[in-house]
Amino acid sequence: MTVAGKVLHAQLHLLNRQLIDQATGALLGKVDDIELDLQADPPVVSALISGRERIPALQVMEIDTAVKIVPGEVNLTRGDDWVERHIIDKIPGAGHAPE
Amino acid sequence: MKKVFAVTLGILTAIGGFVDIGDLVTNALVGARFGMRLSWVVVLGVIGICLYADMSGRIVAVSGRPVFDLIRERLGRRTGLVALIASFLVTLLTLIAEIGGVALAFELASGVNYLLWAPLAALAVWLVIWRVKFSKLETVFGLMGLLLIVFAVALWKLGPDWGQLVHQATNPHPTGHETWATYAYYAIALFGAAMTPYEVFFFSSGGVEEKWTRRDLVTERSNVFIGFPLGGLLSLAIAGCAAVLYLPVGIQVETLGQVTLPVAVALGKLGLAIVLIGVFAATFGAALETSLSCGYTIAQYFGWQWGKFVRPRQASRFHLVMIICLLLAILTLMTMVDPVLVTEYSVVFAAMALPLTYLPILIIANDPDYLRDQVNGRVRNVLGLIYLGLLLVASIAAIPLMIITKAGR
Repeated sequence: MTVAGKVLHAQLHLLNRQLIDQATGALLGKVDDIELDLQADPPVVSALISGRERIPALQVMEIDTAVKIVPGEVNLTRGDDWVERHIIDKIPGAGHAPE
Repeated sequence: MKKVFAVTLGILTAIGGFVDIGDLVTNALVGARFGMRLSWVVVLGVIGICLYADMSGRIVAVSGRPVFDLIRERLGRRTGLVALIASFLVTLLTLIAEIGGVALAFELASGVNYLLWAPLAALAVWLVIWRVKFSKLETVFGLMGLLLIVFAVALWKLGPDWGQLVHQATNPHPTGHETWATYAYYAIALFGAAMTPYEVFFFSSGGVEEKWTRRDLVTERSNVFIGFPLGGLLSLAIAGCAAVLYLPVGIQVETLGQVTLPVAVALGKLGLAIVLIGVFAATFGAALETSLSCGYTIAQYFGWQWGKFVRPRQASRFHLVMIICLLLAILTLMTMVDPVLVTEYSVVFAAMALPLTYLPILIIANDPDYLRDQVNGRVRNVLGLIYLGLLLVASIAAIPLMIITKAGR
């Protein structure tokens, strides 16, 4: 995969990297696996896999020490939302800004 | 004044490594049994933690990535998981001990049994994590923990034979009934405590909480080179007090009361009051450090949102992990297990966690993708490799020595 002329090593530069929402800076998960399109020549990375979610390569905006994406339809915060709704939101002060 | 407060992250981090509840007792115990003959280990530990905390701090300032991100990135998912389990267990066991330590400090001050204080201590720790701003938490407990300097004042007030103490420090070997095995066991315990993994987890995550950038490299460095040496100094002062008061008469140190007694002897009731507040602040600070580190490690391994820089509901799994850990701490203490003993068993997990924590830091500290012009120079790399070797030796020897010496007895 080449981003702006930079040569990237998929295993070294993609696998296990932190996924970040480009717009909000929210931490969204890790790159657990990558999907390759072997029909193309040379083969290209067609998507990143995080948990059970598939992030199409088009939504990957920046690859640095973390991978910035536009989540769009992909819901990566299901676990966090569940815990938030059922436990954390029930505790007073859960919505307080950290001053 | 702002500059003074800027180094409290380093001080609070160092408190967890050098004067938390397990270390308070270990330092005094070592002083009572070996005098200053193990001082070199503290110096060795201070240099090692400065070296690696500085690497992790630079990585955070330049790339924004905390330590557990690096561990998973460089070790991969499986080995990363082994590192996570080992270091999480060390941190959790230490947290359990710290909650017990806060409760013990209250028992010393009030006479009411520590078992009654333990749930209150855990609740107080949670409330601080839930509501208090990171920079405030770090300033208050970092500075209050410095009250332990009273040990240094007490040592000076006890009027020891300084020549004798220096003689002990420059003759690093066991004397009397002590064997090389117990000497080595305590050397590893002190070294492992000085470089305990949650220090770099807390320090690097704290850098993210404080939103460090390249411009904060000077702050990062002063945190490291003021905080950790101060921690080492406190640790030596505690050992010194015990060496003066207990070693000549052959008294063994087993309780927190015995740790603080030299200060009462030297400085009376006022001294005792100060040292009790200091012990409270140090154990409470270490409890904050370890509970936050439990949350940091797990959240960073899985990539969840973490941190006190967002609202609790935005980092809900991170907060849930810490709530569960504190509940586990209360339940464990209710079984009446000795809190000080708990930290001794954490050595077993530390043995596995130590090399797996520091190897990825050293690798990334050489990666220009992360550090650009701030990569390690040759001196730092040579020292880094030497320390990696020492950590490996310590981690291999820890468990056999623990068995041979029956945990130092």
